[in-house]
Amino acid sequence: MILRIRRLAVAALILAGTRVGMGADKCFECHTAIADKPSTQFAHDIHHRAGVTCAGCHGGDATTDDPEKAMNKEGNFIGVPKGDVISARCAACHADSVRMAGYHVVLPANQFALLKESVHGQKSISGKERIVQCTTCHGAHGIVPVRDPASPVSPLKIVATCSSCHSNATYMRAYNPALPVDQREKYRTSVHGMKNARGDAKVAECVSCHGTHGILPVKDVRSKVFPVNLPSTCANCHSNAAYMKPYGIPTDQYEKFTRSVHGIALLKKNDLGAPACNSCHGNHGAAPPDIESVSKVCGICHSLNADLFAASPHKQAFDERHLPECETCHGNHDIEPATSTLLGVSSDAVCSRCHTPTDNPQGYSAAQVMRLQIDSLELSEQRAQALVAQAEQEGMEISEAKYRLRDIHQARLEARTTVHAFNAPRFATAVDKGLVVSASVAIEAQGALDEYIFRRIGLGISTLIISILAASLYLYIRRIEKR
Amino acid sequence: MQRAWQRLYAWLDERLQLANLVEFMGKKYVPVHRHSIWYYFGGVSLFLFLIQVVTGILLLLYYKGSEQLAFESIQFISSKVSFGWLIRSIHSWSANLFILAVLVHMFSVFFERSYRAPRELTWMTGMVMFFLALGFGFSGYLLPWNELAFFATKVGTDIAGVIPVVGKPLMIFLRGGEDVTGATLSRFFGFHVAVLPGIFTVALGIHLLLVQRQGMSEPLHVAALPANGRKTMPFFPNFLLRDLLLWLIVLNLLAILAVFFPWELGKKADLFASAPSGIRPEWYFLFMFQTLKFIPARIGFIDGEVLGVFVFSLAGLLWLLIPFWDRRSARGERNRALSYAGLCAVMYIIAFTILGWVL
Amino acid sequence: MEYPPQLKQQTSRRSFLGYILAGGFVAWLAAIAYPLFSYLRPPKQAEVEVTSVKVGTLSSLPKESGVIVRFGNKPVIVVRTAAGEVRAFSATCTHLDCTVQYRKDFGSIWCACHNGRYDLNGRNIAGPPPRPLDPYRVSIQGGDVFVSKNV
Repeated sequence: MILRIRRLAVAALILAGTRVGMGADKCFECHTAIADKPSTQFAHDIHHRAGVTCAGCHGGDATTDDPEKAMNKEGNFIGVPKGDVISARCAACHADSVRMAGYHVVLPANQFALLKESVHGQKSISGKERIVQCTTCHGAHGIVPVRDPASPVSPLKIVATCSSCHSNATYMRAYNPALPVDQREKYRTSVHGMKNARGDAKVAECVSCHGTHGILPVKDVRSKVFPVNLPSTCANCHSNAAYMKPYGIPTDQYEKFTRSVHGIALLKKNDLGAPACNSCHGNHGAAPPDIESVSKVCGICHSLNADLFAASPHKQAFDERHLPECETCHGNHDIEPATSTLLGVSSDAVCSRCHTPTDNPQGYSAAQVMRLQIDSLELSEQRAQALVAQAEQEGMEISEAKYRLRDIHQARLEARTTVHAFNAPRFATAVDKGLVVSASVAIEAQGALDEYIFRRIGLGISTLIISILAASLYLYIRRIEKR
Repeated sequence: MQRAWQRLYAWLDERLQLANLVEFMGKKYVPVHRHSIWYYFGGVSLFLFLIQVVTGILLLLYYKGSEQLAFESIQFISSKVSFGWLIRSIHSWSANLFILAVLVHMFSVFFERSYRAPRELTWMTGMVMFFLALGFGFSGYLLPWNELAFFATKVGTDIAGVIPVVGKPLMIFLRGGEDVTGATLSRFFGFHVAVLPGIFTVALGIHLLLVQRQGMSEPLHVAALPANGRKTMPFFPNFLLRDLLLWLIVLNLLAILAVFFPWELGKKADLFASAPSGIRPEWYFLFMFQTLKFIPARIGFIDGEVLGVFVFSLAGLLWLLIPFWDRRSARGERNRALSYAGLCAVMYIIAFTILGWVL
Repeated sequence: MEYPPQLKQQTSRRSFLGYILAGGFVAWLAAIAYPLFSYLRPPKQAEVEVTSVKVGTLSSLPKESGVIVRFGNKPVIVVRTAAGEVRAFSATCTHLDCTVQYRKDFGSIWCACHNGRYDLNGRNIAGPPPRPLDPYRVSIQGGDVFVSKNV
């Protein structure tokens, strides 16, 4: 293995020595003498330190100090690379893993390939060149390693780098007029952005979520920020206990989310309307919603429940106690499908957490009664369903009643929603509506079952009649044949 | 009361000469021997056919023979019309029992050699009715316009289409177009309730007339006995009453089947859906269906399916013309070879029907 | 049935059999006649329903209104837009299977259970519904509006 690497390295050295021109860099010497900007910057460039000469990118002959020869346009001198030529020059080495090994660096060799596939590589106004070349983000003559804080793509500088285009409305309009240009502003208000501004290189910045060379449009299913991919993208950091340790926040959100009704809808049922992390926390401006805004955030989708709650007596009580709406009863990351078990005073119900029989007997008994009501509706729905199923099993045509099972279901769901008004008479009305329908469905289904029995009895009677007739006919035949 | 009856009889007698008929009936005797039981299956077939006519007319009151309405109208009959479920169920069950009774009747006539001269025409009209009965079954199967029937009809008419030269036009004639569509349903409905019953009634009239004129055939071994060794029973009332008794029993059986095993309707046919698994024709076509499945795609240079259809057509033709080529039986001699051949045919049909059912 | 003359000089046992036979025959006739005549009596709903459901006349459906019709075992909502166009969609909410309705004040289709909303193309535009409503085909024949399965 080692032998093989060494052999490769030797080969690479020979190649590099002849083609790129190691050793004396006459271009650099002269240009330094006139102290122009490119050569000044290039002095700190990692490529310069690695022995790549000016000719490595610009072509020409770096071994001669005769400008005529060195910058011979008939030769291979190309001057300042333009458009896609820039990236092609970089890729000549960076896409060649053998050559890169010669410099003892371990960099992926697919950066250029990814760039070409990315939104930056695909979109073009002129149709001739990519929007973004390597130098757009990494700079040209003063390139330093990504980990160097001076690099424009280092965690603390990347935001400025990306936003140099993405916050420029005039520039962005040319490519995607609908794309917002306020990402940097929002980011600065986010927890990530504030920590980043204070010099924390660990927090998420642009590339943490969007990726680097192979950035894809948000609507691309392969994008790291496509709704179904987003939770695991966030979880890269947020579920890493060691990484998150300095911040002292839980790391089980992702795991909880995958079990939640929203997580199942999004990740298992592929329902793109279901919320991902950013739906509640924001994306560029990501921060936990504060107590006041929880119900607004949930209410984006669950608006009826939010409206009912806002008009309910609970609203004031929650505000006074600084309790977050929705979340207090339903939880946050691990929200489970709401069932009637939440209601009432049993051990798994939530009402009795505040409404204890001693402190608040009125609310306690109201919760108890409401639970009884919804349970009785559920039971009568089950009974109606069972009767319909039984009648159907017996081969009775009962599509009418089956159709009306829907109405019970609807009444029950409406009653469940009405809970959020926390108004006992209103809730009772909603439940009664369902009880009335389920009673009539049950009667109809029972009628079908009675009809089923009637058929059996009718058959019994007619079979008996035919049998008697047959028997007497038999006796009659015997008699006339005896004669 | 008694007087009134007598006067009515006299009035009718004057016009219809009933006395002749009564005399004829009174002299009619049915041979009694150990194979007499088979005589009853003709009567049972007749009874089931009459039930089909009555229930069929009743269903016609509510059934609608169109692509949009056929399935729904049957649903309507079984759910909304009182006793509609019973009528439909009896029609379906009786159809199947009818085919069964006809098969038994036909094979008993074959094994008893009752087709021999002078009863060739009785056999031929019977065979015509048998083919018509299969036509009734095939066309009636499609009328509920459910998924299974739809695809079975597709396959069935496809098989008709493989016959060289006439197959393709025949298939288009049956389907009322290139494909099984609502047009096919209209056609099959027309065949089922008008064309087939019309022809059937004529054939049935001739068949019954011949039976009455020629009397029951005696098996060879009975015919060989001396006149005083043969036992008989009067057709009227003895045999007729026994017939009636059996009819009552069959009626009971039908009612029980219809109530306890109501005929299923299945799912409505969808012209664009892919075929569900378990497509099979009615059980009396199964042995042919299964045979065609077993025949390899090509035998020599002939298409396997064409060969199968050809062989079945040939067998049907031979079967139809038995009275004319079974010379031995016509001469009153025993024809064991033919009996064994017939037995093989019965065993083959039973075996392949079971195979088709199980596979 | 005409009894043979010798039966006329019957013993009591014979007459009993005769009664049974006649009585049985009459009962049998009744057992046949009852279902038969019940069957002939037209049912409450005189006609069969179809794959294509008649919603009503166009004039019974004012602009900016909606109506729920039963289509087989499922409800279908038929809405008439402000422009007078008639559209039909499955009325089963894609969230939790409630039945949706037309809300004139919203100008959209609305589900009472969780306030889900769909625009008049059936697209889910607000609230929890994850998918659009399935469209049905509308045809207008001589002023009558029919809804049928979208093939």
